[in-house]
Amino acid sequence: MTEPASTTATPAAPGAGSAPILEVDSIYKHFGGIRAVNGAGFSIPKGSITALIGPNGAGKTTLFNIITGFYKADSGTILYEGESIFGTPSYEIARRGMVRTFQITKALSAMPVIDNMMLAAPNQPGENLIGLIGRRRANSRREAEVAEHAVDLLERFNLAAKKDDYAGTLSGGQRKLLELARALMAEPRTVLLDEPMAGINPTLGRRLLEHMHDLRETQEVTFLFIEHDMDVVMEHSDEVIVMAQGANVVKGLPEDVRKDKRVIDAYLGGGGSRDEPGPESRRRDASAAAAEADSAEALPPPVAPEDPSS
Amino acid sequence: MADSLVLGISTDFLTAWNFWIGVGILAGIYGIFTLGLQLNVGFTGVLNFGQAGFMAIGAYSAVILVVDVGLPFFLALPISMVITMIVGLLIGLPAVRLRSDYLAIATIAFSEVIRISVQNLRGLTGGNQGTINLELANNRFFSETWTSISSWMSENLFDPIGLTGNEYINLPLLVVIWAFLAILAFFLAKLVRTPWGRVLRAVREDEDAARALGKNALWYKLQSLAIAAALGGVAGWFLVLAQGSVSQEAFEPIFTFTGYAVLVLGGLASFPGVLFGSFIFWAVYEGLRALELPLTSDKDAALRFVLVGLVLILLMAFRPQGVMGKKEEMVLGD
Repeated sequence: MTEPASTTATPAAPGAGSAPILEVDSIYKHFGGIRAVNGAGFSIPKGSITALIGPNGAGKTTLFNIITGFYKADSGTILYEGESIFGTPSYEIARRGMVRTFQITKALSAMPVIDNMMLAAPNQPGENLIGLIGRRRANSRREAEVAEHAVDLLERFNLAAKKDDYAGTLSGGQRKLLELARALMAEPRTVLLDEPMAGINPTLGRRLLEHMHDLRETQEVTFLFIEHDMDVVMEHSDEVIVMAQGANVVKGLPEDVRKDKRVIDAYLGGGGSRDEPGPESRRRDASAAAAEADSAEALPPPVAPEDPSS
Repeated sequence: MADSLVLGISTDFLTAWNFWIGVGILAGIYGIFTLGLQLNVGFTGVLNFGQAGFMAIGAYSAVILVVDVGLPFFLALPISMVITMIVGLLIGLPAVRLRSDYLAIATIAFSEVIRISVQNLRGLTGGNQGTINLELANNRFFSETWTSISSWMSENLFDPIGLTGNEYINLPLLVVIWAFLAILAFFLAKLVRTPWGRVLRAVREDEDAARALGKNALWYKLQSLAIAAALGGVAGWFLVLAQGSVSQEAFEPIFTFTGYAVLVLGGLASFPGVLFGSFIFWAVYEGLRALELPLTSDKDAALRFVLVGLVLILLMAFRPQGVMGKKEEMVLGD
């Protein structure tokens, strides 16, 4: 139980031997007086499935927003496929193959399902006015290709019958599936999913997870997902990163993380000091959070700096 | 007492062709003007409230290029359109970063800056007396070329079918404006159905979602604004041709608001809706002149606006998507 869920030394994760596709190090981000992300850092091997867990308010979604260029961090480094993407605009990051979904689904409701899908396809010359006029044939060829691929994906997600319906008419769970299917239309190499299972019925959820494994196996797509369903996390991820109060507490194999005392503390909000009730600790200010990060001496250092040497 | 409340309705106007041709010209000009708003509001989610400012730039730059610089009419028109587009891009560059309601305020401020500048740059624009001042000073007239085209059209196209005389003097302008309006609406309707238009609609729905899929939302908003500005510019030329000369009053924010009224009437996200809405709006607004009320002219004008407002409220209550809009694509008041 006291055995630390060591971070970089974890041997068994598939793809752990290959070069990391995403390296995040010492990310800091504050909003006014609140330090939302406080030194988080990790690296993710290509073709792996990694879960990012932590109590509410731990900074998981903020970190997602930083990695995908929706927020700019105060400081830190983010390397994607070996190149810095710190401060790169979000659309540029998506074009480089890192696509995300949102915690609150962003179905484009006043557009038909099929348009939602086709929108996401890359390399469409008709998306700029010059290409639209100058490359008409390439444009319509690409449209046909994309439409076929879209229908294919919709079938896999049980949405084909809804193809021509407005996305706004879909149920919450269907919107979630549409968002994932749409992200896959973008032909990503890395997918960041923010609570993909929330609000989906278990059967469809399983489908989604199967699809995730399938893509990893066949196309070496890397997944990083935020999830609160521990069964899903334990069963489907190669590695788990636990965040609390803006910093990562532990990174390791699911079975090790489950047993780690620091993880249990993080979830209960104790952070080691039992005399303090959970919800209270979340309200502590930045300095307290920072002090705590320091005081947890057993805390493994952020992963990224160690990685290159390994 | 009954005498003091005489409500008369004259029917003479119904057969007055020059009156209705005038209404049609206004509907056509503000139709072109509103096509730009439709692209911005209905398809991109950009609340452009500065369309009257773009119209002013189109009108004044065309007049200045012909009258002051001495460029040929047909060269001045495309150049003035390019100028308007560039201004659209320049204004858009900072403005499209703003949240939609702030963008509305910023663009309305822009349009007022343009109008007040036009009012005060007397040497360049003719000041309060309008472009006629400029034309007289240079002894060159913007509508010269158009007048000769117009009389050719009258002689060869309309006289043979019996549409002769003063009653039909503005018929050529009406035909040309509506031809422009129809062609532009057709192309825009085609344009929004392309992959380019699909990105535009995605930006309208959710900018962040569009960005997360690799679309540069700001750039698309800028393009939309620049095209709308150009359309405002085109409407500006026709306004000068219709009125003979223009002054700053023609570019007050109220005209942008009438554009929005047309949008609501015809329906958001529908280009045919703009044609229909513009025709209905101007027919009702001008047609209400037929009501002979015992009021002073300013009160009469204000009452016409009240009645137009009433029509809009009723429409909002019973058909919120407008006459030709789709309920699923409603973007305001969702």
